[in-house]
Amino acid sequence: MANETKSESAHGEKGHGGHGIGKYIAVWVALLCFTGLTVYTGHEDLGAINLPLAVTIATIKATLVVLFFMHMIDTPTANRIVFVVSIVFAIVLIIGVFGDLWTRNEMTLPSAAPSTLGPEIQVSGPGESPVPVHHE
Amino acid sequence: MSSSDHAHHHAPGPGEPTLAHHFDTQDQQNQAVRLGMWLFLGTEVLLFAGLFLGYTVYRNFYHEAFHEASRHLSLFLGTTNTIVLITSSLTVALALWAVQQGKNKLAAALLVFTILCAFGFLGIKSLEYAEKFREGALPGKWYHFSEITAPGANLYYTIYFLMTGLHAFHVIVGMCVLIWVLKGVVKGRFSPKNDVAVELGALYWHLVDLVWIFLFPLLYLI
Repeated sequence: MANETKSESAHGEKGHGGHGIGKYIAVWVALLCFTGLTVYTGHEDLGAINLPLAVTIATIKATLVVLFFMHMIDTPTANRIVFVVSIVFAIVLIIGVFGDLWTRNEMTLPSAAPSTLGPEIQVSGPGESPVPVHHE
Repeated sequence: MSSSDHAHHHAPGPGEPTLAHHFDTQDQQNQAVRLGMWLFLGTEVLLFAGLFLGYTVYRNFYHEAFHEASRHLSLFLGTTNTIVLITSSLTVALALWAVQQGKNKLAAALLVFTILCAFGFLGIKSLEYAEKFREGALPGKWYHFSEITAPGANLYYTIYFLMTGLHAFHVIVGMCVLIWVLKGVVKGRFSPKNDVAVELGALYWHLVDLVWIFLFPLLYLI
């Protein structure tokens, strides 16, 4: 806490102006460049690499915003822990669900071929959910 | 830190911060306020994480439909909105910097620009919504868009409207916060000594930008 108070007062006196406007402009230009890149690669449709690439670019952009626009780079550790932990938990949540998605039995997927054993699945109209139809 | 700051309690003048009685120093109060804001932002991250999770699952199930539907959104409008939000994030960061330099007029101009960007974003978003309503590219049982018939397309639009809708709601809230900040800047309530509220408003606005940074590629570019 003592450390935090110290760093806070230093930061309070200097203000964020110590870093100058130049850094903000540089981050902004970088964000625009990455936006251009992601639009280009997304538009080109690179197949399987498309999504990981888009998420990677988005993560880089988000990191720039958090570090420099939101000043996480010079914020006290307690604030960093709170925010980073929430992101880590979000990632844990998503990885956990990937575990489910990757290990699913084919039959439990909505795209599974209609089973000849169970009730017949029929798509009743454009875009509508499959409706089970029972034979009488 | 000496505790002389709070020894004499007096009503704060214009541009001076108030110190709640349960804090010893202004620094301590600012510290607590910032931590509270980051905690709040953490809960926001988790709120959107739940929705991104839903997106992940349905995209995995209905890969083809999500691909087709995402190609059907207007990449031009989506990209424009991305640039609008990124630029507004820059101007709000600069507005905070200006307040810290005591340049309230500059800060006010930057905040006005940021708020206009927010209006612009919502305007462009409503153009996109209007188009989707016209086509019938709507969530769930209201879906009647004949161009994309792959199963799951309605789920894409459920997620699209839910996530962009919740994000747009954040834009509106952020806009209101920034208008309040602008008022304080114009009236001279915020100053280099009293800038924490400006900082928190800016943090919220950056979060709005952050969410869009992920929404944009996942909805428009997959």
